Amino acid sequence: MNFELMQVVLFSVGMAALATVVMLPPGIALAWILVRRPFPGRTVLETLISLPLVLPPVATGLILLRLFGRRGLVGRWFDQLGIEVIFTWKAVVLAMAVMGLPLLVRAARSGFEQVDRRYERIAATLGANPVRVFLTISLPLARRGVMAGAVLGFSRALGEFGATVMIAGTLPGTRTLSTSIYAYTQTGQDASATVLLVAAALVAFAALFVSNRLSAVGL
Amino acid sequence: MITRMALFFVMTFAASACGLGDIGSGSSDAPRIVVSVAVSLSDALRRASDEFERTTGVTVDLNVGGSDTLATQLLAGATGDLFVSADTRQMDRVEAGGRIITSTRVDLFSNQLVVVSSVDLAGYVSGIRDLESLRVRRIAMGDPESVPAGVYAQEFLKSVGIWDTVRSKVVPTRSVRAALAAVEAGNADVGVVYQTDVALAENVSIAFVVPVEQGPRIRYVAAVAAGAPHESTAKQLLNFLRATRARRIFEDAGFIALGGATP
Repeated sequence: MNFELMQVVLFSVGMAALATVVMLPPGIALAWILVRRPFPGRTVLETLISLPLVLPPVATGLILLRLFGRRGLVGRWFDQLGIEVIFTWKAVVLAMAVMGLPLLVRAARSGFEQVDRRYERIAATLGANPVRVFLTISLPLARRGVMAGAVLGFSRALGEFGATVMIAGTLPGTRTLSTSIYAYTQTGQDASATVLLVAAALVAFAALFVSNRLSAVGL
Repeated sequence: MITRMALFFVMTFAASACGLGDIGSGSSDAPRIVVSVAVSLSDALRRASDEFERTTGVTVDLNVGGSDTLATQLLAGATGDLFVSADTRQMDRVEAGGRIITSTRVDLFSNQLVVVSSVDLAGYVSGIRDLESLRVRRIAMGDPESVPAGVYAQEFLKSVGIWDTVRSKVVPTRSVRAALAAVEAGNADVGVVYQTDVALAENVSIAFVVPVEQGPRIRYVAAVAAGAPHESTAKQLLNFLRATRARRIFEDAGFIALGGATP
């Protein structure tokens, strides 16, 4: 494998890991809110989070393009701050995180649902504030669900194509495993595409192995 | 319930019978041909094909994409009757793979490159040197590795000696129309596209037109596909595209017809 292809693999894994880190705080918060703090409009929030799971990825990409384009609702603000999202590595992370988030939230939710509320209440009666209860009781007890969600979210991020190709394109600095395989096949560079295919299979194998190990040691 | 189910079956049967009928009549007297055509030429070719359909009764389906994508499809064994590429390189690839009938290969049209800018930069970009300016952050063009419009754009920027300074700003796209779309949406500041594409564009202004004698030699080249299901009809359409009536349609759209007109 040459340097260019190696770079694509490292870039993809790095961006997917970064996307996972980015989606963890909001993902855990959302999962916890949905389980522990029922509020009006909860179904709407749930549906919104799950949307990228059911929408065609390209459609999600189009929504992101409209939002984060230089003339978009959010992109306009970023543009004034001098931050460019579309066609940069930030777009890659954004697409990956948005597509991975619903999977993380789903798994983390079932993690929190399995936490016995009595432990949380006991901690509270012993004087722990809500943040401490969450950090020392709820989150550790829900860790299996959260970890499973993180692995799922990471895998989804790594394989993400439709939304990525819409907002990040296939620039030398934004090419992921998926978009490179596509670009190489489209330009008739089948050998490079095949090398990346093998690399993708190896990375997927490694991700599965790690996730199996994690559940085996009971993390 | 039973009546409803019976009705369902009758309707399903009727629908499939109609479908079979269509296929039957289509293949016997008036064939349906597939033309793989470079996206930049597709609108004009659609108009010319409508004309061809009216006179012959043949149905022309267009498979539209970047020429490199179409070439890859043909090399992978996609069926098609006619291939119209926006450059010779992609046609050469398909020819080397034995997927066209070489004797039918012919140059049809030429085109011109233009540099367009998004409305936000209107009036700011007026010469080729302005592409080097810091205000121009992203330059959209077809992928210079393979998409003809991008290959031509790279050739032009190299010939004026600024390729090395602007290449880091290049946003390669899968077709020339995608480059135009990026400029339209304001996500790229500048784009290098064909003059014929700009007629359809919104929110862009032409910064400057590359003069024919300074620009790369743009060649739209066509050939009948090897193993075309409707070879003679494809040849007939190819002939029609070189006839005066069709040439006028392409010239109205801004293309430059090459070679003499067929009767």
